[in-house]
Amino acid sequence: MSQLQARFFTENKKYAIDDVPFSIPAASEVADLSNVINKLLEARIADHKHVEFDFLVRGQFLRSSLASHMDTENISTEEVVEIEYVQKFTAPQPEECIMHDDWISSVEADSEWILTGSYDKTARIWSLEGKAVMTMAGHTDVVKDVAWVKRDGLSSLLLTASLDQTVLLWEWNSEQNKVKARHCCRGHAGSVDTIVVDPSRTKLCFISLAELKCLKTVFSLSVPTEEEDEVEEPNRPRKKQKTEQLGLTRTPLMTLSGHNEAVSAVLWTDAEELCSASWDHTIRLWDVETGEQKSMLTGSKVFNCISYSPLCRRLASGSTDRHVRLWDPRSKDGSLVLLSLTSHTGWVTAVRWSPSNQHQLVSGSFDNIVKLWDIRSCKAPLYDLAAHEDRVLCADWTDSGLILSGGADNKLYTYRYSAYVSDAGA
Amino acid sequence: MDVELGYSLQPVSLIALLPHAHFLLHSLSPSSCLAMCSQDIRNTVGNIPMEWYKDYPHIGYDLDGKKIFKPIRTKDELDEFLDKMENPDYWRTVHNKMTGTDLRLSDEQVDLVHRLQQGKFGDVNFNEYEPAIDFFSSEVMIHPVTNRPEDKRSFIPSLIEKEKVGKLVHAIKMGWIKPRRPKETAPKYYDLWAQEDLNTVLGRHKMHIPAPKMRLPGHEESYNPPPEYLLTEEEKLAWEQQDPEDRRVSFLPQKYSCLRAVPAFSRFIHERFERCLDLYLCPRQRKMRVNVNPEDLIPKLPKPKDLQPFPTTQSLVYRGHTSLVRSISVSPSGQWLVSGSDDCTVRFWEVSTARCLKTVEVSGAVKSVAWSPNPAPFLYPSPAFTLYSILYMKQVCELGAVEQRAVRPFHCIRISVLCGSQTLLVYICEYRAVRQVTWHGKGDYLACVMPDDNSSLQVVIHQVSKRRTQNPFRKSKGMVQCVSFHPIRPYFFVATQRYVRVYNLIKQELTKKLMANCKWISSMAVHPGGDNVICGSYDCRLAWFDLDLSTKPYKMLRHHKKALRGVAYHKHYPLFASGSDDGSVIVCHGMVYNDLLQNPLIVPVKVLKGHTITHDLGVLDVAFHPSQPWVFSSGADGTVRLFT
Repeated sequence: MSQLQARFFTENKKYAIDDVPFSIPAASEVADLSNVINKLLEARIADHKHVEFDFLVRGQFLRSSLASHMDTENISTEEVVEIEYVQKFTAPQPEECIMHDDWISSVEADSEWILTGSYDKTARIWSLEGKAVMTMAGHTDVVKDVAWVKRDGLSSLLLTASLDQTVLLWEWNSEQNKVKARHCCRGHAGSVDTIVVDPSRTKLCFISLAELKCLKTVFSLSVPTEEEDEVEEPNRPRKKQKTEQLGLTRTPLMTLSGHNEAVSAVLWTDAEELCSASWDHTIRLWDVETGEQKSMLTGSKVFNCISYSPLCRRLASGSTDRHVRLWDPRSKDGSLVLLSLTSHTGWVTAVRWSPSNQHQLVSGSFDNIVKLWDIRSCKAPLYDLAAHEDRVLCADWTDSGLILSGGADNKLYTYRYSAYVSDAGA
Repeated sequence: MDVELGYSLQPVSLIALLPHAHFLLHSLSPSSCLAMCSQDIRNTVGNIPMEWYKDYPHIGYDLDGKKIFKPIRTKDELDEFLDKMENPDYWRTVHNKMTGTDLRLSDEQVDLVHRLQQGKFGDVNFNEYEPAIDFFSSEVMIHPVTNRPEDKRSFIPSLIEKEKVGKLVHAIKMGWIKPRRPKETAPKYYDLWAQEDLNTVLGRHKMHIPAPKMRLPGHEESYNPPPEYLLTEEEKLAWEQQDPEDRRVSFLPQKYSCLRAVPAFSRFIHERFERCLDLYLCPRQRKMRVNVNPEDLIPKLPKPKDLQPFPTTQSLVYRGHTSLVRSISVSPSGQWLVSGSDDCTVRFWEVSTARCLKTVEVSGAVKSVAWSPNPAPFLYPSPAFTLYSILYMKQVCELGAVEQRAVRPFHCIRISVLCGSQTLLVYICEYRAVRQVTWHGKGDYLACVMPDDNSSLQVVIHQVSKRRTQNPFRKSKGMVQCVSFHPIRPYFFVATQRYVRVYNLIKQELTKKLMANCKWISSMAVHPGGDNVICGSYDCRLAWFDLDLSTKPYKMLRHHKKALRGVAYHKHYPLFASGSDDGSVIVCHGMVYNDLLQNPLIVPVKVLKGHTITHDLGVLDVAFHPSQPWVFSSGADGTVRLFT
């Protein structure tokens, strides 16, 4: 078996070739196939430049020689093999290294600014180029999570959650570069660890790890709407920078209880649906309207983080047993793991889906490595981003082609990845 | 008819023969009575053969003594025949030999003859089957059968009997007659092999080995062997060079011309001796050697893989201390960790990130830390204080300590607040070296150990809510190593160097004394169920006590190579861990069953290594996470490690 019948196709019209089966050597690898495609394209298009391609056989990336891949995947070599080719995802290039004073607990970036929370009790805003723009010091303890709420023109709303049991809502004017603490949300008796804002930017939810009063009530949800906010504002014009005395104290609208142990991560999958992962080895989906639990996914280890991609409608979870697992939140039977991505050697503490590509996700771990995965090749990650010198604590993507990761070495790394892949993937 | 009535021809003999002859005579008479009376011919000769009168004209004599003359026989054969043919009474005509006349039998006579021939009674009217009446039966009737009066004899005792009885009584009195011996119940004969097991019989036969037999002589031994048995020169040479034990035959076959030429066998004595040796050394009995595979002797334990979850890998290292970390404790929520070190600091860590959030400096090396199990505020009822941590530390003795102790041996100082007004630290400073502090499960009482060989004040119990201190023991029973509260019942465990004493705090008495079988107990932990205790000792052993079983250890585990420093039970999972000076933490599966009949199952599942040995000290304390199967260990290298 030295020759195989293969037919190449692509979804990218730019690189389309004739739909004719080719006879190719069975031992050929990705580079050989890429050369073949490039040759064909050169014959077709006059001003073609060399492009590296990656190849998918039945939805799986080709990583070894074609023959051995088909052998392991149990694909018959008698028939014509359908091979899809996409432009190769080039390695993300490290761009900036933003130094902090202390560990970086959280990072969230939008298209212009990067918001980081740090263990030095401050949250900071950076430009994408790594220039410090603003420092928000209001918390009396470690800032555990940050989130952008919304932006109208020059002024933006953002949230910080801290170990001092409060969540602060800040208003930041980017032109005047002034920041004001507007609200202080209380409701937890322990540190606030995670904070998320729902897609319509009207509700927020925060949770605490330490909320273990009577073994049952763990989950606390606070939903101050913007309407309420505006109603209250004229009544309470007094605004002080000192956050402890900030008058506009919020109380939670709803408390969702059901987890047996600390809740480690929460997110909105929908405008009406919350998803929470906990140390009691479960992921639960909640209906926010009724406050009831809709379904439950059961794992075997503690969950550290979860992420949801609206593009592929899957949940990714990182747990203490070094695996990244993919779940289908709509499955009814509860414990269906679609895929298990295994390459880390420490706890997986951060996992984030790509905002633009339904196949890609990034995961950070206590083994100091950030890994970029494509779920079509689950055996090995696409790239290892080994820049950190200590544990990775948070990671994020931006639409504008940046991957960010912060860790216990006080550094926030940004990597630029080629954005054109998102076209091909979408 | 003659044949039929053969003997009727002689009526006299017939009369003599038949017992009922008179019936016959009577019955004969009615028909022929007239004829007979008229003639009355009656012969008197008697019963003699009639041949004697054959030659005489008479045949006998009648009653008058006159000759009875033979009737004139005129009938010849022909007449006889004719008579037979013609006379209808011929068949009933009988010839009377006594008189020589013919007699015709009447109907009654013929009938009688028929009846007799058939064996019936002659009399027609005689009933032989009349009902029998038993007069002399066993039934006693009111009237006697006979009216003969009873004898006098029947009313008086028999003299003979009296005499006999008297003799017997005398003989019994004299002891000549002995009472009858009881019968021997044991069977006289029994089956010798009835009880024998068939297998042993077969086994005995199988085990027997007969003595080795001598080989019968063959051609080689012959004095004149066939030439093919004789050795050639080369073979002889080879035979001589061989070791005597390796030779196929022990002699050289030799050929002699005749039996007379055969010399004496020089090796005779030698050969007999070897035969004796063979007989002496041969095995007489087959001995069953039991081939035991050492693997089979190990009890069947479940595989560690089936006993998951348990900690397997090192996940996090909590770095920051600069000296030995003596003690660690995890908060009840599982989010915080506190560690006390010889570098005179207490550090608070976030479990999930290994971040040191707070460092508290104290004035002496911290020997023991214990996180209060009760998160509710009790000391200062204010909503700001939710977590309490109590630290005991070794206080460097200062001047005036004696006086202070006399007045106020313990005092509480509120020193610091952790995590933004959340946690209150209470230092209780003692003026002696404190070794251990431990909380009661409800968080109101805490016990503290100050080891001292002589003092009676080794263990004190503080009640936090009332701020009271008790000294439960009046007398010193040896140096106290560690103490522990029973998780459910009001018991108190006190470990001295060799024993663990269990006290009932309500009755104030000693309940049990556990013998640890080791030289020096270093640490102790009580199972959350309360019925099992593990003790680590400095002589490398870990003793598991089942309090329901006995006061001796149920299991001794000798897995560590050096002294044990810390032991701990998990609150929910069936796990326990021990840390040792060899730098390893051994995690064991220790399943305790609710069934009282089932003993605890102890399976070592994992050796966790990570700590480096510093100053000959390895792991100093171990603690389990309250909800996850994670174990923390603190070491002499100044780190705390988390294994998951």
